[in-house]
Amino acid sequence: MSTTTNIVVLAAIASLAAAFPAAAQEAPPAPKEDHSGMDMSGDMQGMDMPAAPTKMEMGGMQGGKAPADARNSDDYSDGYRNSTLPNYEMADQISIPKVLVDELEFASGNEGQGIGWSVLLTNGTDSNKLWLRSQGLKNSKEERLDPESSAEALWWHSAGPYWGTLVGVRQDIGKGATTWLAAGVEGLAPYWFDVQLTGYVGTDGRLAARAKLSYEALLTNRLILTPQVEANVYSKQSRDRELGSGFSNVELSARMRYEVSRKFAPYIGYVWEQALGGSADFRRSRGEGPGEHRFVAGLRLWW
Amino acid sequence: MVSSLALPAWASGSDGGAALSGTEFDLEIAGLPVNYTGKRRIATAVNGRVPAPTLRFREGDTVTLRVHNKLDEMTSVHWHGLIVPAEMDGVPGISFGGIAPGETFTYRFPIRQTGTFWYHAHTLAEQTGLFGAIVIEPRESQVRPPDRDYVVMLSDWTDEPPLQVFLNLKKQSNYYNFGQPTVGDFVKDAGEVGLAAAIKKRQMWNASRMNPTDYSDVSAATYTYLLNGTTAAGNWTGVASPGERVRLRFVGAGTATFFDVRIPGLPLTIVATDGQNVEPVTVDEFRIAPGETYDVEFTMPDAKPYTIFAQSMDRTGFARGTIAPSPGMTGPIPALDQRPWLEPIDMMGAMAAMAGGHTGHGIMEMPPPARHARTEYAANNDMRVDYPRTNLDDPGAGLRGRPWRVLTYADLKSPNGDPDPREPGRDIELHLTGNMERFIWSLDGIKLNDSKPLHFRPNERLRVTFVNDTMMSHPMHLHGMWSDLEDAAGMFQVRKHTIVVQPAQRLSFRVTADAMGRWAFHCHLLYHMAAGMFREVVVA
Repeated sequence: MSTTTNIVVLAAIASLAAAFPAAAQEAPPAPKEDHSGMDMSGDMQGMDMPAAPTKMEMGGMQGGKAPADARNSDDYSDGYRNSTLPNYEMADQISIPKVLVDELEFASGNEGQGIGWSVLLTNGTDSNKLWLRSQGLKNSKEERLDPESSAEALWWHSAGPYWGTLVGVRQDIGKGATTWLAAGVEGLAPYWFDVQLTGYVGTDGRLAARAKLSYEALLTNRLILTPQVEANVYSKQSRDRELGSGFSNVELSARMRYEVSRKFAPYIGYVWEQALGGSADFRRSRGEGPGEHRFVAGLRLWW
Repeated sequence: MVSSLALPAWASGSDGGAALSGTEFDLEIAGLPVNYTGKRRIATAVNGRVPAPTLRFREGDTVTLRVHNKLDEMTSVHWHGLIVPAEMDGVPGISFGGIAPGETFTYRFPIRQTGTFWYHAHTLAEQTGLFGAIVIEPRESQVRPPDRDYVVMLSDWTDEPPLQVFLNLKKQSNYYNFGQPTVGDFVKDAGEVGLAAAIKKRQMWNASRMNPTDYSDVSAATYTYLLNGTTAAGNWTGVASPGERVRLRFVGAGTATFFDVRIPGLPLTIVATDGQNVEPVTVDEFRIAPGETYDVEFTMPDAKPYTIFAQSMDRTGFARGTIAPSPGMTGPIPALDQRPWLEPIDMMGAMAAMAGGHTGHGIMEMPPPARHARTEYAANNDMRVDYPRTNLDDPGAGLRGRPWRVLTYADLKSPNGDPDPREPGRDIELHLTGNMERFIWSLDGIKLNDSKPLHFRPNERLRVTFVNDTMMSHPMHLHGMWSDLEDAAGMFQVRKHTIVVQPAQRLSFRVTADAMGRWAFHCHLLYHMAAGMFREVVVA
């Protein structure tokens, strides 16, 4: 079992690793996208192109690598450098701090009531940022913390027009907390899917991975429905955190917010979570079912 | 605010400080409380005026302008379109070190041109009101001066500090766009044209993570659009009696707003752009970009009021004024248009035009491919157009298919031919690039502070070719030297100082590098300039 699980986790992490170079080439997650960027051939056919100009190759409007004979824009300088006078326009280099309280919510469901959060603090330039990311759920019943409650400190590096790589550490919160090294990718996939994939190596020797995928559907320009799926996988069980090996949970949620302003949006939502494998067994041993559902109401804020 | 002048500027009497003329000027820059939206805010005024006073110069004079900075921050004044020595050009960090708080900087330069120009802060204070018109009268009196001569400055005001606007865009680039396609639009489309067609319409945009409604970064969600510093409700009015010939000098002083201008009922004859006379062309509507000027003439047909209607390109709001025989008259105000989607040619250029993705401006011959820079393949650039369109006879997205005549660059022709008929000795190809999602803007994928300057050799005639790889229009402004726009065949067309490059378009202009020194060269959308769509030019 544990061998199989390790393979599953390694496969998950390997797929993350594979995403790195792909991200740099602006292609994840579907390799198919690599050459077309946007399935242009199909699109062009759809437009009833008259006497198709065969020499015309699309070459990819997004991503790809520079051809060997690409222009070098610096050649126009003939060795001159920019002015060194004071008060030069520097706005393109500034570090910009941002706090995003993506979820701060009251939850009520079949396992009682609790407070959930998902918060991201970033600061940095267009190329490099510090990311502080935390998520969790604290249940008022027995003051229990969701086993995925954690905080991460990560270095974000721009790896493509829509993608960034993440390297850093994750610290679990609560009983049986582990410290992990973290590496992952995040970004915006074609068709506007927000993706966060992170792999972890724990100080206790465990491997883990977490995947999050979400989408913002504009019901109106202010009423926004965000379905999200999250899954976690571990190579070995953790008795203290009541996590089994293999896929430990999958969570599907939908939150609908109303943007009173861009920065202030109350929301309501519904979360359905299913514990899997050994994690489900832990729950059953406590007399609980593996499924959990809760209604949530909260605020999305940023500044 | 009215700068009506039936006579040449210097011959007319005082109009309360709204216009200044002569050769010696004292301009005091200071904060001024204003209220455009119901909230009190502090604007940046010149001599207590927003917009700043119109400066009336005369060709051949040497003017001295003492600019006193009474703000608590560095400021600057740039004379937009004026050919001045490099150290008088007013760009902090390039022309000089800026004007420190409490200091006075004395600008002094000869006036070697005529026409409509403007001046503005080369800092974020351009957004808070530091801009005004410049009208330069010819040394010799005009053959047939108009009976009425008004400046019409179109601008955008926000109650937010401009730095906040910039940070909002950097943190969420669609921050001010409340016109994005919704699920409801999709359902409606599906009902009208079928599910497959509705999906197809969206596929190109969504697959490439591009927004078909991304006309403007900043909308009426924060902007109030002003005409001569007056809100639409305030209704600035220029007086003109029946039979009088009227000249309106339109100045595009928006920091992030293109305006589509028309005066319903009055055909407008475009007689000049960017201070340069053009062969008169009569249209019903024209688009004016930040940085551009257009001189428009018409004869007042009757005693009715006529509305100057200037809607923002993204159709979220409008500026408005009136031309009428007497103040207090109001004409009907047209409805704002619907915001149409950008079209495939705005993303794919000639590819889409060839494919018939756009009607009316189809290109039958495939233009040569664009030569991308190596740096355009990096993370700061999200898209490249391999086969840009080259035609100038396109009024741009939102104005195509109008039932009336709309000005295009193909209509603008200098009457006197190429001012420097030398064949350009070399070509510089520059691509307008960016990352819409992250609000990064650049040239050839390189932001200002990651770039090296463009080197022009003294007195050389060279060609600059732009390819717009982005889906937004960019008004590109070269300081210190004229931009002589060419048509698609490389023939001289019109002299300008600010040239709009439409999405997925290639166009070229010629430069005579006759101005030694360091110059700014940038997109005149203020927040694109701040984000890095800016190069330095060194003539040495």
